[in-house]
Amino acid sequence: MTDVIARRGFHGPSTGEAIESIHNELDALWDDASFVPDMDRMTFATAVIEAAANIVQHALPAAEKPVEIDVDISVRPSRLVARVSAFNAREPFADDMQASMPDSEAESGRGLALIEALVTTVTFERQDGTNTWILTRNT
Amino acid sequence: MQMQFSYEVKDTYAEVKSVGRLNMVAAPKLREVVNEVVAGGSNRVVVNLAETNFMDSSGLGALIGCLKAARQAGGDLRIAAVQPQVKMVLELTNMDRVLTAYPSAEEAFGDD
Repeated sequence: MTDVIARRGFHGPSTGEAIESIHNELDALWDDASFVPDMDRMTFATAVIEAAANIVQHALPAAEKPVEIDVDISVRPSRLVARVSAFNAREPFADDMQASMPDSEAESGRGLALIEALVTTVTFERQDGTNTWILTRNT
Repeated sequence: MQMQFSYEVKDTYAEVKSVGRLNMVAAPKLREVVNEVVAGGSNRVVVNLAETNFMDSSGLGALIGCLKAARQAGGDLRIAAVQPQVKMVLELTNMDRVLTAYPSAEEAFGDD
Protein backbone atom coordinates (compact mmCIF):
# COMPACT_ATOMS: atom_id res chain seq x y z
CA MET A 1 0.00 0.00 0.00
CA THR A 2 1.09 3.54 -0.73
CA ASP A 3 1.97 5.63 2.30
CA VAL A 4 -0.42 8.42 3.16
CA ILE A 5 1.51 11.54 4.16
CA ALA A 6 -1.46 13.75 5.01
CA ARG A 7 -5.20 13.21 4.99
CA ARG A 8 -8.34 15.30 5.48
CA GLY A 9 -12.01 14.51 5.19
CA PHE A 10 -15.54 15.76 5.50
CA HIS A 11 -18.93 14.11 5.93
CA GLY A 12 -22.22 15.97 6.17
CA PRO A 13 -25.45 17.06 4.48
CA SER A 14 -25.13 17.85 0.76
CA THR A 15 -25.41 21.67 0.94
CA GLY A 16 -23.50 24.79 -0.03
CA GLU A 17 -22.06 24.90 3.48
CA ALA A 18 -20.45 21.51 2.79
CA ILE A 19 -18.59 23.08 -0.16
CA GLU A 20 -17.11 25.75 2.10
CA SER A 21 -16.13 23.13 4.70
CA ILE A 22 -14.49 20.91 2.08
CA HIS A 23 -12.55 23.91 0.79
CA ASN A 24 -11.38 24.66 4.34
CA GLU A 25 -10.24 21.03 4.68
CA LEU A 26 -8.27 21.36 1.43
CA ASP A 27 -6.55 24.51 2.73
CA ALA A 28 -5.72 22.67 5.96
CA LEU A 29 -4.37 19.72 3.97
CA TRP A 30 -1.86 21.97 2.18
CA ASP A 31 -0.77 23.33 5.57
CA ASP A 32 -0.07 19.72 6.61
CA ALA A 33 1.72 18.92 3.33
CA SER A 34 3.52 22.16 2.50
CA PHE A 35 5.79 20.46 -0.05
CA VAL A 36 2.93 20.02 -2.55
CA PRO A 37 3.63 22.53 -5.37
CA ASP A 38 1.22 25.45 -5.87
CA MET A 39 0.18 24.26 -9.34
CA ASP A 40 -0.85 20.84 -7.98
CA ARG A 41 -2.76 22.39 -5.07
CA MET A 42 -4.61 24.75 -7.38
CA THR A 43 -5.60 22.17 -9.96
CA PHE A 44 -6.49 19.43 -7.49
CA ALA A 45 -8.51 21.69 -5.17
CA THR A 46 -10.46 22.98 -8.17
CA ALA A 47 -11.27 19.41 -9.30
CA VAL A 48 -12.37 18.34 -5.79
CA ILE A 49 -14.64 21.38 -5.40
CA GLU A 50 -16.12 20.79 -8.87
CA ALA A 51 -16.90 17.16 -8.00
CA ALA A 52 -18.42 18.13 -4.63
CA ALA A 53 -20.45 20.95 -6.21
CA ASN A 54 -21.71 18.50 -8.86
CA ILE A 55 -23.11 16.33 -6.04
CA VAL A 56 -24.67 19.28 -4.18
CA GLN A 57 -26.28 20.58 -7.38
CA HIS A 58 -27.31 17.35 -9.07
CA ALA A 59 -27.46 14.34 -6.71
CA LEU A 60 -31.04 13.33 -5.90
CA PRO A 61 -31.98 11.18 -2.92
CA ALA A 62 -32.76 7.53 -3.69
CA ALA A 63 -35.39 7.32 -0.94
CA GLU A 64 -36.49 9.37 2.08
CA LYS A 65 -32.98 9.82 3.49
CA PRO A 66 -31.33 13.04 2.29
CA VAL A 67 -28.11 12.91 0.25
CA GLU A 68 -24.93 13.17 2.29
CA ILE A 69 -21.56 14.10 0.92
CA ASP A 70 -18.34 12.44 1.99
CA VAL A 71 -14.86 13.53 0.97
CA ASP A 72 -11.56 11.79 1.71
CA ILE A 73 -8.49 13.57 0.39
CA SER A 74 -4.98 12.21 0.79
CA VAL A 75 -1.47 13.27 -0.11
CA ARG A 76 0.78 10.35 -1.11
CA PRO A 77 4.46 10.39 -2.09
CA SER A 78 3.85 11.10 -5.78
CA ARG A 79 0.09 11.40 -5.97
CA LEU A 80 -2.94 13.29 -4.68
CA VAL A 81 -6.10 11.19 -4.28
CA ALA A 82 -9.67 12.28 -3.51
CA ARG A 83 -12.77 10.14 -3.06
CA VAL A 84 -15.85 12.33 -3.34
CA SER A 85 -19.03 10.41 -2.54
CA ALA A 86 -22.77 10.97 -2.53
CA PHE A 87 -24.50 8.71 0.03
CA ASN A 88 -28.24 7.85 -0.29
CA ALA A 89 -28.14 9.09 -3.88
CA ARG A 90 -29.81 7.94 -7.07
CA GLU A 91 -27.70 6.94 -10.00
CA PRO A 92 -26.78 10.16 -11.89
CA PHE A 93 -28.66 11.01 -15.08
CA ALA A 94 -26.65 10.56 -18.26
CA ASP A 95 -27.17 14.29 -18.99
CA ASP A 96 -25.38 15.19 -15.78
CA MET A 97 -22.38 13.09 -16.82
CA GLN A 98 -21.54 15.05 -20.00
CA ALA A 99 -17.84 15.82 -20.04
CA SER A 100 -17.63 17.97 -23.18
CA MET A 101 -17.20 21.74 -22.91
CA PRO A 102 -20.44 23.57 -23.86
CA ASP A 103 -20.47 26.66 -26.11
CA SER A 104 -19.33 30.01 -24.79
CA GLU A 105 -22.89 31.29 -24.14
CA ALA A 106 -23.71 28.45 -21.72
CA GLU A 107 -23.91 29.34 -18.05
CA SER A 108 -23.48 25.78 -16.76
CA GLY A 109 -22.24 22.35 -17.81
CA ARG A 110 -18.46 22.92 -17.65
CA GLY A 111 -17.78 21.13 -14.35
CA LEU A 112 -17.00 17.63 -15.58
CA ALA A 113 -14.94 18.81 -18.54
CA LEU A 114 -12.99 20.97 -16.14
CA ILE A 115 -12.40 18.04 -13.77
CA GLU A 116 -11.05 15.93 -16.65
CA ALA A 117 -8.68 18.72 -17.65
CA LEU A 118 -7.37 19.12 -14.10
CA VAL A 119 -6.55 15.62 -12.89
CA THR A 120 -4.63 12.57 -14.12
CA THR A 121 -7.47 10.06 -13.68
CA VAL A 122 -11.22 10.32 -13.00
CA THR A 123 -13.15 7.19 -12.05
CA PHE A 124 -16.84 6.91 -11.20
CA GLU A 125 -18.18 4.06 -9.07
CA ARG A 126 -21.67 3.20 -7.91
CA GLN A 127 -22.01 0.72 -5.07
CA ASP A 128 -24.78 0.15 -2.48
CA GLY A 129 -26.54 3.42 -3.26
CA THR A 130 -23.35 5.47 -3.09
CA ASN A 131 -21.89 7.36 -6.06
CA THR A 132 -18.16 7.95 -5.78
CA TRP A 133 -15.80 10.03 -7.86
CA ILE A 134 -12.17 9.03 -7.49
CA LEU A 135 -9.80 11.76 -8.63
CA THR A 136 -6.04 11.35 -8.79
CA ARG A 137 -3.30 13.72 -9.80
CA ASN A 138 0.31 12.66 -10.19
CA THR A 139 2.68 15.17 -8.62
CA MET B 1 -14.80 32.87 4.93
CA GLN B 2 -17.88 34.61 3.57
CA MET B 3 -17.98 35.72 -0.05
CA GLN B 4 -18.67 39.42 -0.35
CA PHE B 5 -19.54 41.72 -3.20
CA SER B 6 -19.65 45.48 -3.18
CA TYR B 7 -19.92 48.01 -5.95
CA GLU B 8 -19.11 51.58 -6.74
CA VAL B 9 -20.51 53.58 -9.65
CA LYS B 10 -17.75 55.68 -11.23
CA ASP B 11 -17.82 58.24 -14.08
CA THR B 12 -17.61 55.82 -17.01
CA TYR B 13 -18.18 52.41 -15.46
CA ALA B 14 -19.34 50.58 -12.34
CA GLU B 15 -16.82 48.50 -10.40
CA VAL B 16 -17.99 45.34 -8.63
CA LYS B 17 -15.46 44.04 -6.11
CA SER B 18 -15.45 40.32 -5.46
CA VAL B 19 -13.78 39.10 -2.27
CA GLY B 20 -13.28 35.41 -1.43
CA ARG B 21 -14.23 32.19 -3.19
CA LEU B 22 -16.44 32.56 -6.24
CA ASN B 23 -18.16 29.17 -5.91
CA MET B 24 -21.71 27.79 -6.14
CA VAL B 25 -22.63 29.58 -2.91
CA ALA B 26 -21.35 32.98 -4.04
CA ALA B 27 -22.37 32.76 -7.71
CA PRO B 28 -26.07 33.70 -7.24
CA LYS B 29 -25.04 36.68 -5.09
CA LEU B 30 -22.74 37.96 -7.84
CA ARG B 31 -25.62 37.72 -10.32
CA GLU B 32 -27.85 39.68 -7.94
CA VAL B 33 -25.31 42.46 -7.43
CA VAL B 34 -24.51 42.84 -11.15
CA ASN B 35 -28.22 42.78 -12.05
CA GLU B 36 -28.78 45.53 -9.50
CA VAL B 37 -25.92 47.59 -10.96
CA VAL B 38 -27.23 47.17 -14.53
CA ALA B 39 -30.82 47.90 -13.46
CA GLY B 40 -29.50 51.06 -11.80
CA GLY B 41 -28.36 52.34 -15.19
CA SER B 42 -24.69 51.28 -15.36
CA ASN B 43 -24.18 49.00 -18.35
CA ARG B 44 -20.36 49.14 -18.34
CA VAL B 45 -19.34 46.85 -15.52
CA VAL B 46 -15.90 45.82 -14.30
CA VAL B 47 -15.66 42.86 -11.93
CA ASN B 48 -12.51 43.35 -9.89
CA LEU B 49 -11.14 39.90 -9.01
CA ALA B 50 -8.00 41.03 -7.17
CA GLU B 51 -9.20 39.39 -3.96
CA THR B 52 -10.75 36.29 -5.52
CA ASN B 53 -8.29 33.42 -5.33
CA PHE B 54 -10.75 30.72 -6.34
CA MET B 55 -13.47 30.39 -8.95
CA ASP B 56 -15.29 27.21 -10.01
CA SER B 57 -17.56 26.55 -12.99
CA SER B 58 -20.56 27.97 -11.09
CA GLY B 59 -18.68 31.23 -10.56
CA LEU B 60 -17.69 31.24 -14.23
CA GLY B 61 -21.33 30.62 -15.20
CA ALA B 62 -22.37 33.63 -13.11
CA LEU B 63 -19.79 35.84 -14.85
CA ILE B 64 -21.11 34.70 -18.25
CA GLY B 65 -24.69 35.46 -17.14
CA CYS B 66 -23.58 38.90 -15.93
CA LEU B 67 -21.77 39.56 -19.23
CA LYS B 68 -24.98 38.76 -21.10
CA ALA B 69 -27.00 41.06 -18.80
CA ALA B 70 -24.58 43.96 -19.40
CA ARG B 71 -24.59 43.40 -23.17
CA GLN B 72 -28.38 43.16 -23.28
CA ALA B 73 -28.43 46.58 -21.63
CA GLY B 74 -26.20 47.86 -24.44
CA GLY B 75 -22.97 47.75 -22.47
CA ASP B 76 -20.26 45.26 -21.60
CA LEU B 77 -18.72 43.42 -18.66
CA ARG B 78 -14.98 43.10 -18.22
CA ILE B 79 -12.87 41.46 -15.56
CA ALA B 80 -9.77 42.86 -13.89
CA ALA B 81 -6.83 41.78 -11.71
CA VAL B 82 -7.34 38.07 -12.38
CA GLN B 83 -5.41 35.77 -10.01
CA PRO B 84 -3.67 32.51 -11.11
CA GLN B 85 -6.43 30.00 -10.28
CA VAL B 86 -9.11 32.09 -11.98
CA LYS B 87 -6.83 32.53 -15.02
CA MET B 88 -6.38 28.75 -15.16
CA VAL B 89 -10.16 28.11 -15.11
CA LEU B 90 -10.73 30.74 -17.83
CA GLU B 91 -8.05 29.20 -20.04
CA LEU B 92 -9.08 25.55 -19.57
CA THR B 93 -12.69 26.41 -20.47
CA ASN B 94 -11.60 28.67 -23.41
CA MET B 95 -13.55 31.49 -21.79
CA ASP B 96 -10.48 33.76 -21.67
CA ARG B 97 -11.43 34.78 -25.23
CA VAL B 98 -14.93 35.84 -24.15
CA LEU B 99 -14.17 37.35 -20.75
CA THR B 100 -11.25 39.65 -21.46
CA ALA B 101 -9.01 40.23 -18.46
CA TYR B 102 -7.47 43.63 -17.79
CA PRO B 103 -4.63 44.35 -15.35
CA SER B 104 -6.76 46.75 -13.28
CA ALA B 105 -10.34 48.01 -13.03
CA GLU B 106 -9.20 51.48 -14.22
CA GLU B 107 -7.79 50.01 -17.44
CA ALA B 108 -10.78 47.80 -18.29
CA PHE B 109 -12.69 50.56 -20.12
CA GLY B 110 -9.64 52.73 -20.65
CA ASP B 111 -9.59 52.13 -24.42
CA ASP B 112 -13.06 53.48 -25.16
